[in-house]
Amino acid sequence: MKRILVLLTVAIFALTACKRVDTNATKGAAETAATPAKFILGFDDSFPPMGFKENGEYVGFDIDLAREVTKRLNMELVLQPIIWDVKEQELNTNKIDCIWNGFTMTPEREAAMAFTKPYMNNKQIVVVLKDSPVQTLADLAGKKLALQRDSSAADALDKHATLKPSLGELLEFEDNVMAMTDLDTNNCDAVLMDVVVANYNYIKKAPDKYRLLEESLADERFGIGFRKTDVALKDKVEATLMEMANDGTVANISTKWFGSDITTLK
Amino acid sequence: MDVVALAIEFWGGTVTALEVFFLTLFFALPLGLVIAMGRMSHNPLIRVPIYYYILFMRGTPLLLQLIIVFYAPSYIFGINLNRFSAAILAYVLNYAAYFSEIFRGGIQSIPVGQYEAAQVLGFNRRTTFMRIVLPQVVKRITLPMSNEFTTLIKDTALISTLAIVEVFRIAKSASSASVSIVPLFVAGGIYLTLNACVTKFFVWFEKKQDYYR
Repeated sequence: MKRILVLLTVAIFALTACKRVDTNATKGAAETAATPAKFILGFDDSFPPMGFKENGEYVGFDIDLAREVTKRLNMELVLQPIIWDVKEQELNTNKIDCIWNGFTMTPEREAAMAFTKPYMNNKQIVVVLKDSPVQTLADLAGKKLALQRDSSAADALDKHATLKPSLGELLEFEDNVMAMTDLDTNNCDAVLMDVVVANYNYIKKAPDKYRLLEESLADERFGIGFRKTDVALKDKVEATLMEMANDGTVANISTKWFGSDITTLK
Repeated sequence: MDVVALAIEFWGGTVTALEVFFLTLFFALPLGLVIAMGRMSHNPLIRVPIYYYILFMRGTPLLLQLIIVFYAPSYIFGINLNRFSAAILAYVLNYAAYFSEIFRGGIQSIPVGQYEAAQVLGFNRRTTFMRIVLPQVVKRITLPMSNEFTTLIKDTALISTLAIVEVFRIAKSASSASVSIVPLFVAGGIYLTLNACVTKFFVWFEKKQDYYR
């Protein structure tokens, strides 16, 4: 019994030692390592078209970009769906290497993480039913506006000087699907969300049902968030992205998902 | 984030949780007793539908029931219910199902001999139930009920599905805004405090029922 215990302990130590050596090697010299280093991408798998599950596989604009980047860096891409509320904890405890998921750069986030250059502009847009009387942001006065809580839409609304106080009621939902259900059933008058999501999910799929207001809120930038201590990896990914932008790969991927090149890497 | 503003928000969320808690109990306890009676009915036209009602209410997530109660009338009849009322209705329907089975367990645990004895002593069925059976049932179901009450405190968090602000939702927002998990622990403390009160109540209630000691 005792011998088994000793053996087990030795085995566990040996395994952990191996693992440590392994990570050291991969972090140091990814290109020369025999087995490709792991690149663990954390993302919310319910955020089409940036990253989501389709037919049992993770797909999306960001996922396509990441596949190409890791291929060029000779790294193994590991897609790790995360709970959005604890994304910072996931990153800080090394469960993931980056947050790459239509991740809006905010001053708070930029203070807490190392961001790549922004690769895309996103704005917050108001979705209404086609026959809605609402035409401008001013028309939303006294109306019920829904959005996904803790989202960039919520931040943008907070920053907008006049819109929030003018609203009749603000409804904050767990996700955009619930907010849009509220709109479909006339329980609210409008939904505020990312323009990429609005276009991909609703306007493209049901152009006769919904309409976007021309006025938008807060131009935002999407970036990739790394640990503050992981600047080397961030720089490598950024350089590869620039390389892909210059040879047209980024434009191709953008056209596949959005119909045109809407990226900002130049 | 401003701590005072956050504390006020948490207070509002706590009030919402308490409203949900007390309104649900107020309606679900009597409804649960009625459902328990129906479940024990000799008439299959009453008993069988109630069997399926309980199966559905206990067999599907409360979160889904909240969505159905609020949105189904909108989709089917074009009626838009008040958000909070719809939520309370869902909680009541759900908790009444659980309560009914606890009531039934309590009622059926009373020996038939007591009914026979009551009949011999000339009590009618109503008096037998209200004065002899029910007081004993209350005593026997106190502990399982305390489980349900504490669960209900925590289930109030689900009301955020219908875009109603409550404690855990506030904590998650504050956590996301401040890049810290401390607000989640604050929310945990609030639920714990509320449930400490619930537990205290049940300790008192149990003691009060020890009238034969």
